[in-house]
Order: sequence, then structure tokens, then C-alpha cells
Amino acid sequence: MRVTLTVNGKPYSDDLEPRTLLAHYLRDTLNLTGTHVGCDTSNCGACTILMDGKAVKSCTILAVQADGSEITTIEGMANGGELHPIQQAFKENHGLQCGFCTPGMVMTAADILQNNPNPTEQEVRHGLEGNFCRCTGYHNIVKSVLHASELIK
Amino acid sequence: METYIGKPIKRREDNRFLTGKGRYTDDIKLPGMCHAAFVRSPYAHAKILRINTEAARNAEGVVTVFTAADGPGDFGVPCGWQVNFKNGDTMREPQHPLLAKDKVRHLGEPVAVVIAATMALARDAAELVEVDYEELPAVTNPQEAMAAGAPLVHDAWEDNAAFDWCIGNDRAEVEAALKDAYHVTELEFVNQRLAPNAIEPRSYIADYDVNADKWTLYSSTQNPHLIRLLLCAFALGIPEHKVRVVSYDVGGGFGSKIYHYTEEALLIWATKEIGRPVKWTADRSEAFLTDAHGRDHVVKSKMGFDKDGKIVAHLTDEYCAMGAYLSTFAPAIPTYLHGTLFQGLYTTPLIHLNVVAPFTHTVPVDAYRGAGRPEATYLIERLVSKAAKEMGIDPAEIRFKNFIPAFDGVKQPGYQTQVALQYDSGNYAPTLEKALEIVDYKGFRQEQAEARKQGKLLGIGISTWIEGCGIAPSAVVGALGARAGLYEVGHVRVQPTGKVTVFTGTHSHGQGHETVFAQFVADRLGIPIEDVDIAHGDTNEVAFGMGTYGSRSLAVGGSAIVKSIDKVLEKGAKIAAHKLEAAVEDIEYAQGKWTVKGTDKSISFGDVSLTAYVPHDYPEGLEPGLDFSSFYDPANFTFPFGTHIAIVEVNADTGKVTLKRFVAVDDVGNVMNPMIVDGQIHGGVVQGIGQALLEEVVYDDHGQMLTGSYMDYAMPRADDLPFIETDRTVTPCPHNPLGAKGAGEAGTIGATPAVVNAVVDALHHLGVDDIQMPLTPQRVWAAMQNVQR
Amino acid sequence: MKISGKHIIEAPVEAVWQKILDPAVLERVTPGIDQLEKLAADRYKAIADIRMGPVKGRFTGSLAIEDKVAPESCTIVLDQKSKIGNVKASITLKLVPLADHQTAVGYTGEARMSGMLARMGQRLLGGVVSTLAKQFFSAFEKEVNG
Repeated sequence: MRVTLTVNGKPYSDDLEPRTLLAHYLRDTLNLTGTHVGCDTSNCGACTILMDGKAVKSCTILAVQADGSEITTIEGMANGGELHPIQQAFKENHGLQCGFCTPGMVMTAADILQNNPNPTEQEVRHGLEGNFCRCTGYHNIVKSVLHASELIK
Repeated sequence: METYIGKPIKRREDNRFLTGKGRYTDDIKLPGMCHAAFVRSPYAHAKILRINTEAARNAEGVVTVFTAADGPGDFGVPCGWQVNFKNGDTMREPQHPLLAKDKVRHLGEPVAVVIAATMALARDAAELVEVDYEELPAVTNPQEAMAAGAPLVHDAWEDNAAFDWCIGNDRAEVEAALKDAYHVTELEFVNQRLAPNAIEPRSYIADYDVNADKWTLYSSTQNPHLIRLLLCAFALGIPEHKVRVVSYDVGGGFGSKIYHYTEEALLIWATKEIGRPVKWTADRSEAFLTDAHGRDHVVKSKMGFDKDGKIVAHLTDEYCAMGAYLSTFAPAIPTYLHGTLFQGLYTTPLIHLNVVAPFTHTVPVDAYRGAGRPEATYLIERLVSKAAKEMGIDPAEIRFKNFIPAFDGVKQPGYQTQVALQYDSGNYAPTLEKALEIVDYKGFRQEQAEARKQGKLLGIGISTWIEGCGIAPSAVVGALGARAGLYEVGHVRVQPTGKVTVFTGTHSHGQGHETVFAQFVADRLGIPIEDVDIAHGDTNEVAFGMGTYGSRSLAVGGSAIVKSIDKVLEKGAKIAAHKLEAAVEDIEYAQGKWTVKGTDKSISFGDVSLTAYVPHDYPEGLEPGLDFSSFYDPANFTFPFGTHIAIVEVNADTGKVTLKRFVAVDDVGNVMNPMIVDGQIHGGVVQGIGQALLEEVVYDDHGQMLTGSYMDYAMPRADDLPFIETDRTVTPCPHNPLGAKGAGEAGTIGATPAVVNAVVDALHHLGVDDIQMPLTPQRVWAAMQNVQR
Repeated sequence: MKISGKHIIEAPVEAVWQKILDPAVLERVTPGIDQLEKLAADRYKAIADIRMGPVKGRFTGSLAIEDKVAPESCTIVLDQKSKIGNVKASITLKLVPLADHQTAVGYTGEARMSGMLARMGQRLLGGVVSTLAKQFFSAFEKEVNG
């Protein structure tokens, strides 16, 4: 089955097995391995990407469902060597340790801040509920997102 | 001069993780690589009657299918720690085959492996492998495993004990003291089984190069050299110099990626058979079924007190599950990493712990963050808090009464415990004082009383903890049964231009070694941090190493690097003295240059480095080069300690526990990077909170796992938690050059009892004096109902 | 997992008893059943395709009817294997005449699952079983009255 879509601003068109998950398409076909897979029940959120501007768990949808859409992955966040303000905030606040959940956290944070540019701590915590981190206890991730909301202003 | 040490330097590794450029094992693709899928047992205990692989072999894209009979059944992964029976009999050590032969002994045990062109085709074909089983009765609870007539995990022995063990004072003496005690507090509970749940599932790629007769294993491991050693010397018997183990970025470990797993060895065996690289990455379901679990102790305990609340004796009996096979460090966890912490922070004069460690029809149990020490701390801190309630003593006061007085390990000697170890240095009361101040303990008690009048249930829980980490002198751990040394290797390579690459045998999977290690290296050499790179995770780059676990990286690995820096500076001084035409005794090193004392004659680190590699004008008899490797074998364990306080509110109608505040005042010795230490504490604390409130692996009576996915295993989430308030005191470790004690496990060790003590405190006036973890709303609600009736 | 429930069927108890033990009827009305092949008296080989949300698989195995007390009760014993796990179940049916043309069919029993079914399906399976039971009884009622 043919899938035509835009990923990080670049057009792609590939023939895929219909059952291919978007996460596997990004990782295996496009070599965008920043999108991680941490579970098989759509709970952990490591695979979160933006699809037409909305945070989506890319292990939950088939690549063919993304046909015609615009995808942004973690690789598409920085502008050349300059980190996106959310990435910058994660770095400044030690919002990551092993780095595995980080791409999903950053993409989810982008969605949270798009919908709510001035979130409270509780709103950030609620927004991150679908993303697991085993390293940070979420403390510095929540701080990072709050800090990012300041940086984006 | 300290330019970097003690500063919250931002992590140098972050940019690659933040831009999606991390190099995790599953990100790697090799030419011609195929994929493995395992056929796993759906039963906890069964005879394998027949395996039919024909349909799978003929399926699309399948390269081959292996069962035990094809060879892997002859190989097994070893156990790295031997704990013998009390009577001197050797520990029972069954073969742990790469694929199950005649019997399966736990749910998810691999029975066959299918190798195919893609992951999807391998999984499709794995479904076509037909296995006929005869299901047998299973036992999953360690106490039940020791009951007469319990199903045997290994038929070779008459019961399920892998070993039994005890530590401390003579049992009769402890029992007599308990008999005479003014008050005895009793506690029985299960320290429940946990799944480690690193968010990156385990992943391996094995690649055999037929021309060179060499293997490469890419592995999501915490200790590449140890895996190579176990793989070569014990599992497969292949030459160690022909094997390279690489683990670049690893997505969290928490203990679960220390061990040498059957899949690793099997892939190395298989890649030579098929002549192609082969990859396997666990899915989360396989992670629950096959990653070594943590905890799982059935505990029965008594602690005796005099009338002033001083502890006079402590006696505990435990059944500690080993699982179906002995994982790499499994026997050490409920013994030398557990019993040796039964002194806690207290002057308890008489202690006895008895452990029976049975095999069970479950996945093996091994170290999970804290490893034996959270279990010890939970037990002691629950006992002390329960006793305080029973004796009408304030829980803070009872701890102050029992603390070991301060000792720095230099002027005052280390503290000799009743349970073998000698504490290095400690000053316990200030952490409790500070934590009480942060939470405004007196103020909280008033608030609690007011809230109670309005039907609101608030509680506060204290936990004062200690752990032994950074293990330890190799000769000592050898005497305790370790089959490996526990030193570390630090290699400092100064390039001709004065740039420095440091190779460490420890491994970073989130701990930030690339930053922290560079901080003290740059300071010790007096050079910019940009001139220092840290390399780890490749056995071809790093001479040797024991990896990262047990909060050992800085205390042991860092110290090894310091030894090499000292050698660099010593040799550099000879070169500098020659160039400066002065005696070595007359020059000194500071801020990146050697200076003739009292003059302005100096030579920079860079110039000395260049001279070492371009030795035209050079000291006679001195070797060129500036490159040193050192092995550091620690003089003792290190003993971080601290106080954790939790404040909770319990919903009186639903039993739901809300964590309102969590304060952690920890003493991890000298701190290189406070930002990173705090991060370690935050994460550790939340894992401890997870055990207290949410997490449990549940097997049913037949050994089926009821919590095999994130839909059923409750992981802590962002909105379950408040910010974690951290503070610290600093009591340097007296026996390593950095004065560091270790911070990786501290949070997990201290947090769990603080939370449970807080919930019990909230409900104590209703008559609740203990609740089994995890404190789910259902359990808390039931506890309230039971006593109210 | 415990299974229990009750359905009222608009038919006399004898008619219900006869049809409920008829393999041809069972094959037609049991949701997902592809094949019910008689092996011996009251013993069948059963092949079923169950597709219900995340519980999805082809089950093969045996079905036996035991402890028959006409027209009151019997026990259905299932031993089914699939790629997503195996099921062993024993379910006792009790028929109680309510009026001339009404019979209450009660069922109680226990199902034991293994593999992924046990791990992932257990929590969802209660719902699956009750949906399947509803489908079964409504098809069965049509069969009895049709």
C-alpha cells in the first residue's frame, strides 16, 4: 500500500505492508530512530510525534492512516544547531536522564504548550500523564515544560 | 582550584538525546541483519512433549528455527555469586539453558527461536511453531515453595531451597533478649515483587565476522565487560579476545540490564550458525515476562525495646524468591546486600536475620534499584515507626534515641555493625533535624489535629535510611561468594595536543558520566572541560570494567580515574622539571601548568603533553607518552544515609492516598554535580513511592502473570506526584579520593517506608497499624473498614 | 476467572434441553464456532474464531458434555488452545422451568487461561464472555423457536 506524507517538512512516498505501524515506518523505513517504542499497549508515550500539529502515539496508528498528513518527529524540532525552546528547557532543567522517553516527552510538551501556553504545574502533570519516565520522577520534566512556556513567550 | 566540581554543569550528553540522535541498540541496523522472535512458554511449569517447527521453517522470510535440540540446550548462562547453605553445603545451581529442554519452569521461558528477514515475519512464523505441553502444578510464593509437597522447580533436589543463610548474632541470644525486652513490636508482610521497567526494552544484535572469526554483540547492558566475560568464559566457551561488546546508549537499567540473559548468549550462538547478524528487541510484554524482577520477600519480624524506646534486639525470618533459575547476582541480593544493612542507623546490640531462598516457578529475581537494601530499610523503618506508635513515643524522637553517634572515619574509627560491615563515616541526626525543619514538623502535627476534627485524614511518615554501596574490596566480596572482582578501571589518555580522553569501565545509562566525570577530571588537571571527553560502553575502547550498578560509578569508577590522573601528573612533573631545568621537588602543578616554586617560570599541560609524544628534549630513561590506566579496588563499601519524610492525605471515602509533600535530605558524601545528584534522588524516590502505592507483579496460583502490561501494572505517572523537595548534608567518604559515597539508589531505599509510615500515621487513630503494599485505594479502604467494624 | 449468568428463554424446558445438546445447533448458534466434529458420545473437536476487541484468536481443542441430568443440568468442559493462550473451562448449566413456555438457563463455572490471554485479556474477558453469552442465547432462542 502506498503512503504519501510529509515528515519534518520533507515529502515521502513509500510502498508498505498495510499493517506497518507509523512508529515502525518512521524508525525502519525513514531511519528516524529518535521516535522510540517502549510498550505495546500505547501507554508509555515514548513514540509520541506530532501529526498535523497534534500529539499522537505513533505506535497506535498505522502508517497508512497518516497518509496525506504532516508529521513532526523529534528530529524536526531543532532548527539546525539551535535547539527548540522546549529542548533548551529540558537541557537547562535536567529534564532527561537516560533519554529514552525524552523524544516523546518533548513532543507531548509541544502539544501541551500549543493548547495552553501558560499551564499550571497541575495542568502540565495532567498533560504528561500518558508519558512514562522511569528516571526523573517527572520532577525536572514538569519544571522543563513550565520553563519552556516562559521561553516560548 | 575547583572550577567545575560542585557546580550544576549542564549535561554534555543531552543534545544528542534531545534531537533524537541517541544510539540505542534497537536504532542500529547492520547489512544483512535478520530478526529473532522467541516462542515462549504459556505455562509456569510444564513438560515439553513435542515441538513441531516445520510450518514455521517453511513460512515466508524465515531463515531458520532453533530449539534446544539444535544446540542451545547444551549451553546455559551462569550465576555470578555463590551463597552456600548454613550447613556448608554448596548452593544448588541448576543449569539455565538458552532454550528450555524437557521442561519449562516459568511463564515466558524461551522454547524456540525463529529467525527471519524482518521482525514482523519472525513473529508471524513464531506463531506457527507448535509445542505440546503437559501442564504441571506450579508454586510462585517463596514461603509456599518451601512447604512440604510443594511442586519442585528442579527435580534434582528434594526441596526448592537454593540455599539458606543467616547473619548477625547468635539466634538464641537474640531470642533471649526479645523475651526480656520491655516491649516487642512484630510485623509480618510481603515485600512485593516489582518489575524494573526501564522504558527501553532489552535489545541485542549479534554479528559474527567469519573472516576474522570475531563476534560483536550490541547490547542494552549496564556492564559490557562483565557480559563479555560471562558470555565467553561461562555461557558459550568462546575466546574472549574474539568478542566485542558494545553498549552505546542504554535507556535506563535500574538493575535489570546488569545480568547476562539467555537471549544474549543465544544470539551470539545463532549468528555464527546462520552467518548473518541477528537482532532481538523485547516488546513490553516480554519485558514483564523475562526481565529479572525485584524484591519478593515474605517477612516475619520482631524488634525488642527497653522502656526508654532503645532497641535491644531484632530478629527476622524471611523467604526470598530466587525464581526458576539463579540470575547473575541473585543470591547476593537477599543476603550480603540485605542482611548487612540490618544495623540501620541504630545502635541495636543484637541482630539476627535468617533467610531461606527457594526456587519458584517465576522469572528470576535479582537486583532492582536498591537491591536488598530497600527491603532492609523498609523492614527496619516500619518496625521503628510501629514501635513508636505502640509505645507512645514520637517517631522522630525514637530515631534520635537510637542513632549511632557521629563518626568521621578518620579521627573516630568506622562503626562496626553486628552484621559484618564497618560503616565508613556517618552523622545521622542532622539529616533528620533538617528534614523535620523543612516540613515544619510541629506545625504539621497541629494541622493534622485540626484536619482530623474536620474528618480529613493527614499523615506524616519518617524514614531514616542507610545503604552500603560502591562495593567493595574484591577480596572481601570474594570471601562473600562473588565470582568476580568489584574494582574499576580508569584510563586517562592525554593526546599530544593536551586534549584528554578518559575511558571508564563504568557505564552511563542516564547517570550523566560524560558530564560528571569530565568535571572532576578537568578540575584535577586544571584544563577546560571542553578538553576532556569520557568514553564508555565499548570493550574495544575501554581496557576492562565492571559496569554500573550499586551506586558505584563515581566512588569506585571515579576513583580509578583519579589514580590515573595522579600518574599523569607525576610523569608530567618529570617532563616539566626537565624542560624547566629544575628538580621535580621544586615545581608545583596548578591551573594547568607546572611552575618552578617562587618563580614565574612555567610550562603548560599542553606543552608537556606534546613533549611526551615528541620527546626530543626529554628526561633520560623516561618512556615517551602520557597515557595511564589504573585499577582501583575500594578499601570498603561506602555508606550514604539520609532522612525522607512523606506527607499524605487519605480520602476517607475511597481510601485513595494523595502524596502532598515529599522531603528527602540525603548525605551522599561529596557532590560533583548537585543538579545530577538531585535528579538521581528524584527518580529514586519516585520508584520508592511506586512500590509503596502502585506497583506489584501478580502471579496467580498457576503462575500466570496478571500484571503483564502497562494496562495492569501501575507505573507512577506525572500526576500521581508532587515536586520532590531535596536537601543534603555532606559527610565525605574517608576512604576514596573523591570523598563520594554514591547517589543512584538512595531515593529508592529511603522513600518506600516514609510513604507507608505516613499512611499508617493518617489512619492510626482509627486502629490501623499496618497495610500491605502497594497501598491501593482498595487496600487502604479495606483496612479502614476492617478496624472500624 | 469465574463465569456466571442467567438467561430466560421463551421455550419449554424439554425443548431447550434437547437443542442445547444438539451439536448441529451448537455449531450454528455458538459465536465464532467454525467446526464441531463428533469424536465420541458427548465429545467433540471444536474450532472457533473469537474476535472481540483485543481478544482475537483461533481456538482449537475439545468440548465435552458431562454429568448430564435430563432435563435439569449438565457440565460443559472446554480445553482450547490458541496462539494467544489456552483456555480450560468447566461450566455447569442449570435449566429451571419458569412457566409452560419459559425456561431459565443459569450457568456457573470457572475458566483458566494461560499466556497472553491471561496476561492481557483477563480484565477484558469478563465483558467478552458476557457478550458472547448474549449472542449465544439470542441465537439459541431463535433456533429453539424457529
